[in-house]
Amino acid sequence: MTTADTNTPPGTDAVDSIDVIIRICGAAGDGSLATGAFLNQAAARMGYHIMNIDLYPAEIRGFGKSVAHLRISDRPVHTPGVRADCLVALNDPHAITELDTLAEGAVVLYDSNPPVYWEEDKAIAGFIEPGMIGYGVPLGELSTRATRSARSRNIVALGSLSGIFRIDPGALTEGIGTRFGRKSAELAESNLQAFNLGREYALEHLEKADPIDFRDRVPGEREGVVVASGNQGAARACLDAGLRLYAGYPITPATRIMEILARELPGRGGVVIQTEDEISAIGHAIGAGFTGRRAATATSGPGLALMTEFLGLAVMAEVPVVVINGQRGGPSTGLPTKTEQSDLFLAVFGGSGDSPRPVLAPADVSEVYSLTATAFEIAEAFQTPVIVLLDLFICNRTEDVNWSEVDRDTWGQYEDLQAAPDGEDSGYRRFTLTDSGVSPRTIPGVPGGYHAVTGLEHNEQGLPDYTPENHLRMTQKRYRKMASLLERWPDPEPEGDEGAVEVGIVSWGTGIGSAREAMLALQEQGVSCAGFFPRLIWPLNADRLKEFATRCERVIVAESNFSGQFAGMVEQALGAPVVRVTGVPAEPLDPATIIAAAGGRS
Amino acid sequence: MSPDKHDTGEAPVLNRGVASRLDEVADSGLLDYRSEALPTWCPGCGYYGITHALAGALVELGIENENLVVVSGIGCAGRYPFFLKGYGFHGVHGRALPLAGGVKIARPELTVLVVGGDGDGLGIGGGHLPHAIRRNIDVTYILFDNGISGLTKGQSSPTTPQGQRTGTHPWGNPDTPLDPVVLGLGYRASFLATGFAGDPDQLAGIFTRALAHRGFSFVPIVTPCVTFDAVNITWDRMREGWQPVPEDHDPNDLSAALALALDENRYYGVLYEETDRPTFADAQAGIADRAGAAVS
Repeated sequence: MTTADTNTPPGTDAVDSIDVIIRICGAAGDGSLATGAFLNQAAARMGYHIMNIDLYPAEIRGFGKSVAHLRISDRPVHTPGVRADCLVALNDPHAITELDTLAEGAVVLYDSNPPVYWEEDKAIAGFIEPGMIGYGVPLGELSTRATRSARSRNIVALGSLSGIFRIDPGALTEGIGTRFGRKSAELAESNLQAFNLGREYALEHLEKADPIDFRDRVPGEREGVVVASGNQGAARACLDAGLRLYAGYPITPATRIMEILARELPGRGGVVIQTEDEISAIGHAIGAGFTGRRAATATSGPGLALMTEFLGLAVMAEVPVVVINGQRGGPSTGLPTKTEQSDLFLAVFGGSGDSPRPVLAPADVSEVYSLTATAFEIAEAFQTPVIVLLDLFICNRTEDVNWSEVDRDTWGQYEDLQAAPDGEDSGYRRFTLTDSGVSPRTIPGVPGGYHAVTGLEHNEQGLPDYTPENHLRMTQKRYRKMASLLERWPDPEPEGDEGAVEVGIVSWGTGIGSAREAMLALQEQGVSCAGFFPRLIWPLNADRLKEFATRCERVIVAESNFSGQFAGMVEQALGAPVVRVTGVPAEPLDPATIIAAAGGRS
Repeated sequence: MSPDKHDTGEAPVLNRGVASRLDEVADSGLLDYRSEALPTWCPGCGYYGITHALAGALVELGIENENLVVVSGIGCAGRYPFFLKGYGFHGVHGRALPLAGGVKIARPELTVLVVGGDGDGLGIGGGHLPHAIRRNIDVTYILFDNGISGLTKGQSSPTTPQGQRTGTHPWGNPDTPLDPVVLGLGYRASFLATGFAGDPDQLAGIFTRALAHRGFSFVPIVTPCVTFDAVNITWDRMREGWQPVPEDHDPNDLSAALALALDENRYYGVLYEETDRPTFADAQAGIADRAGAAVS
């Protein structure tokens, strides 16, 4: 938005900058999500930064509301933002319920002659109040004129948006042509017609009353930039890391990872297996990991809960495996299509016994890729299960990314032993005690490296041994691997102001984007502020965390769960209380809650 | 007792009769599949005969130790991987089949043997059996069925007869037992053979055919628990009602196999074998071809 931008921290130079939030609302099936996707793709092609999150019900059809929420900015975007500058109403009864999400002076684009499905349906036109700018376009009529059906009302609306906000139609029409051209040339032609009718109507008949003008700033095409979701990033990482077996059971929001791999992996020498449940999924992955092949599964909280016994086995038997967990609201089946960060304790501590395993949590889509790929390296190098903790928000949201600029740390290939170290029949000791905790490993097929791994406590040879001395030695060995990983892992670099600060914000996963936005806003308000955002959240680098805390007047830990799970871990590491910003809004964490906790203005 | 406690490094004193028998066994190649760990099973346990027969089948097929992976669940039978020279995975209770599936899919060249008891495979792990069967993963699953939970000292299992008194059912087991043979045929395992402990030669022949079968082979074996079952499956009653599979039985005929399974007599040998059903790997090769064509 060119002026009075509610998403731009007060005091910043907002002139000639674009930072617009658009919500496209319809009933499931109205095409609101597809419309958002067209707009995202085009904006990213034009060089804008984007973040998009689709909000939809758990039910497939019926009367569920679908909302595409997207933010388009010429600067890097950390959160999807809260207050929308524009609402596109493809279904009036649903869109009316969205009016309270609008910013002051927001645009409402609606069908001036909307279809009525129920007698009691109300038209949104009657709800446009002072402080809103209503633009009515005969979406249904123009759609029928172009495609002989009302099904392209969303494409007409997209054309109107292009007209209203002066968005160069080039990238949009190219996207529409490609997408519908896959079905038929005729369909592409008629939808382009629908787009043009919408655009022309807006330019000719609407009196522009809003200040948004994309011509103010067009960043220009950035080479190699694509729009991708966290799930796409995770699947891509699996492919690039050399995944050989993916075993999974469908569950929202992780299913998409499996669907992508099912399409892509078999042609690259790997196998995807759909198992009977999540227990079997991780079992298959661990079986493959035992043979020296890279293996993974992806799930959500209910599935991870089922996997905990097998996770403990992988810890005990020291088998590499990668488990990706897309968190959603819980407990139990919970809120299948709503985001939350409440599986942290399950990921870090879930299961029986003292069961240490690394947990990684990426902050954005690029990091989903780089950290998932790194998870395979850690799993192999330290012979351990590794959990990559995502959430529904990052799984489903899309961002502009440039894969060629994303580093994938390969750590130097870990090599399994190709022969028994002291020759055959030498009594190879699979769990030899070492300084690092990592024992040289043979895999099936290696003569003389025979051994059995087990979930029982065992001695160096791998045979059951329940003596307290042995249990202590082996427990220490397993924890020593975590210490070795922490040494190998780069120290988290604090962000924001250096030296003593009034406010220190600690966050993890998708909370980092919100924390970062809050930090920047506080700095704009003259509050000195720094951020500590570890990506390896277990083992936690307590030394660096303490160093950080000592220079903060107040430490705030921000996350999207009710009980403050990470705050609890931070307090344990610091031995001191922190200010907790928690919440289960079923939406990404609102930076305003962090700003308020820091005493700033939101 | 943990097996390494036996490992005192001192050779036991043996009488001449046992020694000469040991020489015989040494020449047989059976010891090539024995690890240094001594079995922890009770004296008189049926599992000794079963593992002896298994070693015979491995010798017969000439399977290299390094290419042999034995996966097990939890229970007395679950300890088998420790006693075998090869690669072993002693997993969690009831989950041997998923682990074995992962091993075989990742490394199709390996010979994968799955062992476990009735509680492990039909109780806690009962949900995995039909799916391993319908995938037709090329592993051999030997179910050691002794009708009791032995390792935890005598509780009911899914194959404990109705009315039998056990630790968890002191007034008699109220539930009817599962029949793994009927289950396996009902799920349509591509190979099903059965037998009983105490006749290793007969078992070795069955195991050899099971291991040689391409696809999922399911082999439920009845075996006594000498410590916690004095009434149901005992050595005295072991051979009661068993007959060899009739010579004119057609193993491709599922109805005939089911008829044998439901007969009041019990039949040992191969009840069912489908040799032409595609394995998981066969199906996967087709998928890889189609996906590869799409990628390139």
